[in-house]
Amino acid sequence: MESMVAKITQIILSPVLALIVGVFFLGLARKIMARIHWRYGPPLIQPVIDMIKLFYQKGVSHGRIFDLGIILSLAGSIVVVLFLPFGRIAPLSNSGGLLVILYMMLLAPLGMALSGGQGANPNISIGISRKLILSLGYEAPLLLILLAVMTHYKTISIVEVVSAQQSTSWSIISFPLFLSGLSYFLILPAILGIRPFDVSSAPQEISSGPMAEYGGKYLALATIEHAFVLFISIALFVNLFLGGAANPFIFFVKMLVVFVLGLCVNAVFPRFRIEQAIKYLWKWPTLLAFVSLIIIMAIRS
Amino acid sequence: MSLEILLIIAFGGALFTYLVGKVSYKGRDFLAVAISLALVAFVACLYGKAGEETFYYGFLGLNLVLRLNMLSWFFAIAISSLGALCTIFSLSYMKARERTDFYFLMMLLVNAAMLGIVLAGDLISFYIFWEIMSWSAFLLISYNRGPALAAGMKYIIMSIIGSVCFLVGMLSLYVSFDTLNISQIASVIGSASSGYILFILTVFGIAFGIKNAVLPFHTWLPDAHSEAPAPFSAVLSGILIKMGTYGFLLVLYVIVGLKLFLGLGSGIFSFHSVLCLLGAVTIIIPTFIAVLQTDAKRLLAWSTIGQAGYIILGIAFGTNLALAGGIFHFFNHALFKALLFFAVGAVEFRTQTRDLDSLGGLAKKMPVVFIATLVGICALIGVPLTSGFVSKWLIYKTLILEGSPFLAFFALAGTWGTILYSYKLIHNVFLGQLPEKYKTVEKAPFSMQLPVVVLSVAILLFGILPGIPLKVIDLVGVSFGFEILNVTLRGIVSETGTLNTINIFSAVLVAAALVWLVFRSTTKSVPVTQEDSYAAGAHTPVDKYHYTVEFYNPLQKMIEPFLRDVIDEFYYWIASSVRSLASGVRRIYSGDVGNYVMYIILFLSLLIFVQMKWKVW
Repeated sequence: MESMVAKITQIILSPVLALIVGVFFLGLARKIMARIHWRYGPPLIQPVIDMIKLFYQKGVSHGRIFDLGIILSLAGSIVVVLFLPFGRIAPLSNSGGLLVILYMMLLAPLGMALSGGQGANPNISIGISRKLILSLGYEAPLLLILLAVMTHYKTISIVEVVSAQQSTSWSIISFPLFLSGLSYFLILPAILGIRPFDVSSAPQEISSGPMAEYGGKYLALATIEHAFVLFISIALFVNLFLGGAANPFIFFVKMLVVFVLGLCVNAVFPRFRIEQAIKYLWKWPTLLAFVSLIIIMAIRS
Repeated sequence: MSLEILLIIAFGGALFTYLVGKVSYKGRDFLAVAISLALVAFVACLYGKAGEETFYYGFLGLNLVLRLNMLSWFFAIAISSLGALCTIFSLSYMKARERTDFYFLMMLLVNAAMLGIVLAGDLISFYIFWEIMSWSAFLLISYNRGPALAAGMKYIIMSIIGSVCFLVGMLSLYVSFDTLNISQIASVIGSASSGYILFILTVFGIAFGIKNAVLPFHTWLPDAHSEAPAPFSAVLSGILIKMGTYGFLLVLYVIVGLKLFLGLGSGIFSFHSVLCLLGAVTIIIPTFIAVLQTDAKRLLAWSTIGQAGYIILGIAFGTNLALAGGIFHFFNHALFKALLFFAVGAVEFRTQTRDLDSLGGLAKKMPVVFIATLVGICALIGVPLTSGFVSKWLIYKTLILEGSPFLAFFALAGTWGTILYSYKLIHNVFLGQLPEKYKTVEKAPFSMQLPVVVLSVAILLFGILPGIPLKVIDLVGVSFGFEILNVTLRGIVSETGTLNTINIFSAVLVAAALVWLVFRSTTKSVPVTQEDSYAAGAHTPVDKYHYTVEFYNPLQKMIEPFLRDVIDEFYYWIASSVRSLASGVRRIYSGDVGNYVMYIILFLSLLIFVQMKWKVW
């Protein structure tokens, strides 16, 4: 009975924590970017203010799929959070392991693409096409990275990957895996869709792409979804390479370090074109991840 | 004797339907549906039974045998159910066409022949049914005439090559073991040398690989699938090519057996790793070729080749989880690919086109077909909560944990290619702007909606409760000599990783309900038309732009040069060289009697010369 209560608390707690962290990161990103650009920047809680405002504004709807797509997208992200360990909080992580996480991460872009598709706007079509091509671009190294981790620790469960690191050392400082970790760090901005990989949501070029028709609560939900994606991609990195954490606070600190580092590196780059992005992603990150996997296989046999 | 009765109903029903069609259309339609449903019921009643029965004594001195076990039951139920759905779909699809009696005859004949194949207990009857299937499929592929004739010709030529290989293998087995009964061969094949087993596996591998469209034997499939009538494309892709899969299972696991099969060769040069590698290549290349297609059915055809790669990979890998994944994926592929071919067929029926560059926005006009297509592509991608996820999960998990991450990479990367073409399919047909000319399109007729709804319900049901088919598949694995899997209704329990679809399902349900509540309780949105979209202040003229054309243009430019179908070009080169050689030979027959007299004289003088010089005779 007690474990049941604990489990339910965790199920409620982990999306809430993830949301808070994600939204905090959104605010922080704007602040840091502004400082790098020598501006003062908006207050940290600006995303929260925006969201509350947006929920009170009217948006337009292009039909039922337009509504359901965005709901599916956000629900998909929330579910992924339940599968990811956050410190010791890992409510559903034993229901299929990393493969399920990998696949559940699909629901968010799929929902967004369906919703945008019904928007019938040329900018949306271009944005989605770019988003899908870009995701093909970063999935090649990402899959190699995940396969390297799973092969190295001989498990598909993310909880076991974390506990194996806690009993030995972090993957990022262990021999072949640091190559994979480096590769993950290089593709992180592409996963997050931030510069220089913001091809699909390029605001000046294609009116924010998939979000062109969103207003009011649609935009608010899309922002929340983005916050979750921020949380998920960085938490995955912390779990796989920085040894997870014993409690949520240390986990948060680790996430913060990764996020700020990533932001500083990438804030100064101009935007890639989509084919440049693919060429970059399929060159160095893929090569690193590939070499790492080969070394792991060589050690094993 | 029940198996004989089953086949008599199947074959006799096909002929009877044809005769009734000469009298009344309605009667023929009713009879076709009734027979195909009766077959489903009949097969379902045979669940759990096993046995062999001889139905013909002394054919060329051999007994022809029918045999039922878990493997053949599983295939038989898939064949008969999909056959029934196809017949129902055909009712309105074929209504305004010519030669419909012939069409229904062939359709039922194909189904009957496939039932015969999976129930055959010896290789002779297997071969007879196999040929009936190949030839009636040929007639159905070329049904539409025009380019379909060329597609059918390509199919039947490759099919004949496969059959010849099968014959060679069969005769060689007969010479070696003096029997063609499958279970008798299986019991004595252990005494054969490994070189001989390799030979047998290779000839049968070519025969079944052609049917299953494994690279490099895939070239007939894209043409045949896109030119055949839509309901038959569904049968072709869903079931008919899976007769190759059945053949592989039969040869690898029933006849040769697991131990011998895995023991052939060593390391990367073993038969098993070569077959795995072929499966992986078959996944990756066709998947990316599918991304480039603009014809909806051609896209699905290339996708079929790619998905068949997963099945081959699962079967060839040779562990119980991978085998379960492979067989389960065969079943899933039958469900979702038939569904997608039906959906494209329904769209083609209403709009007369399947060109992905000119359709669009049909979701509002054909909502049921749209939802079904959505379920179909989710299963094709393998989104959790559809049955496609479970089978792919099993395959990936085995590949990773058994230490083949590169094969797993091929399989997973293929999935991301699948996302690209699946979204292209659904976006270009159902989403985006609805062109003026399709504003009056009606929704699909009932007999087309029913099969797609049934299939999407099945996909979701088996995705949330995968234990139902997995129990049966597990029994198939056990009959091959594998350990029993720990299957529960909601997935598979094992020490190395548990799948729990109920947890995933409830999490998604609760999360979606939560977001929906937030969505409902906030300000209501204003519905707008598709013309009323944001274009940064500029005016977008109606029907001037079509956003779906060249959907993945940047990617296409990058990958297209690498994705030429070299194998197809090579086969065409062989075909054209043979043709020019033949036309060269034909010149000898000039039709002039004088020439012929000269040939005779020349030949005689050659003989005389030989005799004088060497004294041969």
